[in-house]
Amino acid sequence: MEYLASTGVLIGIYIILATSYNLIIGYGGLNTIAHPIFFALGAYTAALLGIDTGLPAVICIAAGIGVAVVASVALAVTTLRVSGDYLLIASLGFQLGLLQAVNNLDFTGGPAGLSNIPLTLGGPARGWLYLMITAALALVVIWLAQRSMAGPFGRAVRAMRDDEVACAALGRGPFAMKVVIFAFGCGAAGLAGGMYAYYYQYISPEQFNVAQSATILTMVVLGGLGTIWGPVIGAFVLVALPQAITFLQLPSSLVGPLQGLIFTSLVIVFLFLRPQGLVGTPVAGAAP
Amino acid sequence: MRQEVLRLENVCKRFGGIVVADNISLSLHAGDVLGLIGPNGAGKSTLFNLISGLFRPDTGRIYLEGQLLTGPLHRRARAGVARTWQHMRLFRTMTVLENMLVGPREYPGESMLRSMADTGSLRRAEAAARNRAMHVLERMGLAHTAGTIVVDLPFGQQKLIGVARALMNDGRCLLLDEPMAGVEGSNYETMQRIVRDEAAAGRAVCVVEHNVSFIKDLCTEAVFMSYGRILQRGSVDDLTQSRELTELYFGAADA
Ligand SMILES: Nc1ncnc2c1ncn2[C@@H]1O[C@H](COP(=O)(O)OP(=O)(O)OP(=O)(O)O)[C@@H](O)[C@H]1O
Ligand SMILES: [Mg+2]
Repeated sequence: MEYLASTGVLIGIYIILATSYNLIIGYGGLNTIAHPIFFALGAYTAALLGIDTGLPAVICIAAGIGVAVVASVALAVTTLRVSGDYLLIASLGFQLGLLQAVNNLDFTGGPAGLSNIPLTLGGPARGWLYLMITAALALVVIWLAQRSMAGPFGRAVRAMRDDEVACAALGRGPFAMKVVIFAFGCGAAGLAGGMYAYYYQYISPEQFNVAQSATILTMVVLGGLGTIWGPVIGAFVLVALPQAITFLQLPSSLVGPLQGLIFTSLVIVFLFLRPQGLVGTPVAGAAP
Repeated sequence: MRQEVLRLENVCKRFGGIVVADNISLSLHAGDVLGLIGPNGAGKSTLFNLISGLFRPDTGRIYLEGQLLTGPLHRRARAGVARTWQHMRLFRTMTVLENMLVGPREYPGESMLRSMADTGSLRRAEAAARNRAMHVLERMGLAHTAGTIVVDLPFGQQKLIGVARALMNDGRCLLLDEPMAGVEGSNYETMQRIVRDEAAAGRAVCVVEHNVSFIKDLCTEAVFMSYGRILQRGSVDDLTQSRELTELYFGAADA
């Protein structure tokens, strides 16, 4: 049963990551792949604060969110003014550069990571407690995403995604909107990072690499870019599927390649048969 | 004398070697419907882009209602420059009504926090914008399309929606870039009526159009542009009867 709880926590963390990433890439049309680095900033900030100061977890996680927001605004302000394509390159550089630093610095634990994150909410029901907290936070993030995208702000953001120049010519300044959704999305990733660090009590750089970017992107694309429930379903499927495969009790030499094969074919099948994702409505005028 | 809405003073712009605006000076008054004609590549759309702020002039000044017009697109839209695009540029994943609701100059809930708070004042502002949008659509006979995704509409109706969206900006200056291209039948008449009504309501309208009969029906005055220069301003009849301009126009158009 503990196993179910831990799977649930992981799903909740990925729901937060995928939902916030979807705000940035699906609704905002901002092409960045650096989402895991804000996940990492939240995780490392919370972990280091917890280890070094012994402050309560809530404060450490809040600080992690703060650092992720500040870093995202810094990245947004320096790159978003230039052009959309520049963000993709800059975000990749930002992620690789920062991970390189984390890998080589002493205080981040280098490649070995940090493994002495203080135990918070111990006891027999620990898994279930974390599951409830993570699920509640995931619901809050979904709710905020839904609220912000359903109203006039979300309408302007979608208009900007569809045609930035036309949107600006109607009086909606694109720059401020981009910075706000980027900061909001990255702050949520920081929150996911803090929860991750405190639940697993162990973080290492490899959990935040480009493969992680691909996983979150797959969740969003599979579920449906620019929809509220798409990333939620994507997170469920992509966390549960690999776990289900391990239940088949196949030889471990098979499991890895099999998972890779299934992920890759899923993405390809979806790109061809259902580009709008599982829950998205087909875009009018687009190829079927 | 009617109020001057838009004034361009010696506006120049070049792209690399090409001069696309060559010392353009122009004045537009409330109630005017000024035609802007000239061969392909003359710089008509570029002139709109300079006024609306997509491009910055190399030299020269542009005034809106006596105020120097500066800054990026969204500032100028808020100052009162409403425009359409030659290629419409509608928000393709959104409905007609949603397209329109992006357009009010003062936008309810542009801030993410205010939008999420969903207060009573926000809801009232949204409802007011919705009413105005429906009113504009009704004037065009397109109220029934409000819930349709724009790209599902026939081309002529999309052209009208492009204009309808611009009309959500209640500023004094209205720039229409080839509103009639591909528009026929009843949509043609609707477009004429709308442009006339907007001018009568006190807007200063400038229309780029290759359809000369549309310009003739609508405009008292027109400007002829070629290679970034204004060659002549006068009555539409004078311009279309000028042998020199006709040759320029059709010579270039046929090439
Ligand atoms: N962003 C740009 N960069 C470089 N050159 C440009 C740019 N925009 C327009 N031009 C050039 O400026 C010139 C004028 O173009 P413009 O689109 O203003 O013509 P137009 O009078 O609107 O023509 P049409 O009737 O075909 O719409 C053309 O030679 C065009 O190639
Ligand atoms: Mg043009």
